[in-house]
Amino acid sequence: MTSLTTRVGMLAAGLAVGGLLAAGPAMAKVEGDTIVFGAAVSFTGKYSTNGKHTKNGYDLAAKRLNDMGGIEVAGKRYNVKIQYYDDESTPARNAQLAERLINQDGIKFILGPYGSGPTKGMAPIIEKYKIPMVEANGASRSLFNKGYRYLFAVLSTSEQYLAEAINLAAKLSAAEGRRVQDLKVAIAVENDPFSQDIRAGVIDDAKRWGMRVVIDDKLPKELNDMTATLTKVKAVKPDVLVVSGHSKGAALAIRQVHEMKVDVPMLAITHCEAADVIGKFGAAADYTLCATQWDETMSYRDGWFGSAGDYAKTFQAAYGYVPPYQAAESSAAVLVWADALKRAGTFDTEAVRDALAQTDMQTFYGNIKFDETGKNIAKPMVLRQIQNGKLVPVAPVEFAAKKTIFPRPMWSER
Amino acid sequence: MSRTAALYGAVGVAALLAPLVFPAFQTQLAFLWVMVLFALTWDVMGGQMGYNSFGNVFYLGLGMYVTAVVQRDLYFDVEEYAHVAGAVGTLSAGEYLTGLALGLALAGVAAVLAAAVLGSGILGLRGHYFAICTLGLGIAAGEIAGGIDYIGAGSGLVTPVFPDALGRRGMFFYYLFFALAVATFFTLRWLYAGRFGLAINAIRDDEDKAEAMGIHTTRYKTVAWCVSAFFLGIAGGGVGNLVGFIDPTDVAFAGATFGVWMVLMAILGGKGTLWGPVIGAVIFHVTQELFWTYLFGWQRVALGALIIVIVVFFPQGILGWVRQRWPERFGHRVDEEARAPGGGA
Repeated sequence: MTSLTTRVGMLAAGLAVGGLLAAGPAMAKVEGDTIVFGAAVSFTGKYSTNGKHTKNGYDLAAKRLNDMGGIEVAGKRYNVKIQYYDDESTPARNAQLAERLINQDGIKFILGPYGSGPTKGMAPIIEKYKIPMVEANGASRSLFNKGYRYLFAVLSTSEQYLAEAINLAAKLSAAEGRRVQDLKVAIAVENDPFSQDIRAGVIDDAKRWGMRVVIDDKLPKELNDMTATLTKVKAVKPDVLVVSGHSKGAALAIRQVHEMKVDVPMLAITHCEAADVIGKFGAAADYTLCATQWDETMSYRDGWFGSAGDYAKTFQAAYGYVPPYQAAESSAAVLVWADALKRAGTFDTEAVRDALAQTDMQTFYGNIKFDETGKNIAKPMVLRQIQNGKLVPVAPVEFAAKKTIFPRPMWSER
Repeated sequence: MSRTAALYGAVGVAALLAPLVFPAFQTQLAFLWVMVLFALTWDVMGGQMGYNSFGNVFYLGLGMYVTAVVQRDLYFDVEEYAHVAGAVGTLSAGEYLTGLALGLALAGVAAVLAAAVLGSGILGLRGHYFAICTLGLGIAAGEIAGGIDYIGAGSGLVTPVFPDALGRRGMFFYYLFFALAVATFFTLRWLYAGRFGLAINAIRDDEDKAEAMGIHTTRYKTVAWCVSAFFLGIAGGGVGNLVGFIDPTDVAFAGATFGVWMVLMAILGGKGTLWGPVIGAVIFHVTQELFWTYLFGWQRVALGALIIVIVVFFPQGILGWVRQRWPERFGHRVDEEARAPGGGA
């Protein structure tokens, strides 16, 4: 090896160290009268739509807290600021960004990323550094069986998302005098942690009712086509079709079920609002059942945003669109931080962690109380049906404004 | 030569001290060595032998899964690890190290076996056909891994939590990857200096002629891929643990990120040279981190612009450009000079 190449190598090494040093704007957890939260959210990549909802939710809550004088900790009021990074929708990035937030930016309070995969990438790191994270968009149940102590989730776990649809189908069919055991279920879900959990929940409930799962398809992550599954649906005529694949999957299901005129008595999907299926497909989206973490007609309220409906109005005024639940739960995560920091009365991460664990509060988003694994056990999932272009809560019955239209009218009769 | 040794020493000392001097950057620095490993192992095939592989990420993912599965199956029940609610318990330092060491060793073995089997089939292809075939390899592997429940399928696989007793996680992995990168570098240096290096360079320059000269080209090509796969497989086992969560398509067989970066870094630094991939990896990693921080939201655009600049202005890579610019600096050794015009080809 010649000396020049070695010298170029040395230069590069020097550059590396210098560059990495420059790569981190120094920032403390609390600067003067500002508390800095850290978040690595998907601004680019396949989760970018939901990443935006997540950021808007965080920002709206931060702004509301600041407008109301900030968070009170030990008698002093602090403003809220959020340091963002882009995880590019890949969990490989989240581990690095978690370290960056904690080590380089000195952040002690973390807000979660969007999606179960990215959250899984982040959780082991925050656990390692004993830095608490309140997350609002990582619903996979496998996040909550690793014994993580510093992970708190305000949302219902993903196996609950569409299980309620199975129960609803069972009850409605029984009311019609059909044998529940005769019902056939078709499942088409994306091959990612979130949707696979949804599948697990649906299968558990179908088994409980003695239903038969006739189609059980995995859809690729580059979700552009599900005609193969829908052709099977046309052939075997299941009573319930369950589809999950984040926003892309929702739009795809509605579009292709319509295009292929697939008649199925019940179609249940996730991410209706985030994908704006009503705006995109209009009447073609009617009668679809949509799982949601939150509905603006619910009776929850808090001292920051008021009622769920008030939150929806505030959000709409700020960002110009109806808040999907991804935004609502993100705002709720910030409120959980505000509540816990106030109760802790200190910035000591252990004390704050313990305060988080004891959270028992109501927000516009729902009740929040964590079990020992860190997941919220105080809030049910809601199922809404699109009726005449509107999302109407239909299950569970205590929130149900209207009855489910079941079975869906045939395409030929619409 | 003694001057070279002194410079190697200086780089080594700097590298050894780096995580102690900059404790907040340990993970990024650890990833720096991962990038160096990516570029070095890719260059065995792509640079020295002229076989552009877009499927090396296959060995990375294979190593990740093998290591993680060994770590899991040694101490945990598979069903329980994946499903049962509640804590599954953490490992002691000894258990963790045993699992990791065994996992990494098996990852290397598995990658070599896979390369030997695949190589004997695929390496009959040349040029574009080989490139496209390897591209398919990485994509297929991701989809297949996403369908195997034993390794978590689409839900992915979480590696065991790093035990507190072993100190700082970033530091541990920094030295692991540093050691592996050094071992890879000197192994390749030794291989390139000998008959093996001459043979694979001959294959790059004219495969038919090389064969006519009596070189068992397919054997050399397969061995070259095995060498590349061995180090990449071990690196994969480490990366899986450093990331903490193995997703089949986004982390393990991540062709669009890791898979492309490998190629890019080697070309950036100057492929077909020993130091080129190292320099390319360092520059790529640092610019990428800088873009991520300072060009927030535009980092991919900036990275794309950087790639265009590299391809247009430094088609031979940085080292290739330096050699063309100051050939007298490289003129002392005949083989270096002979290699220079074709260095980036």
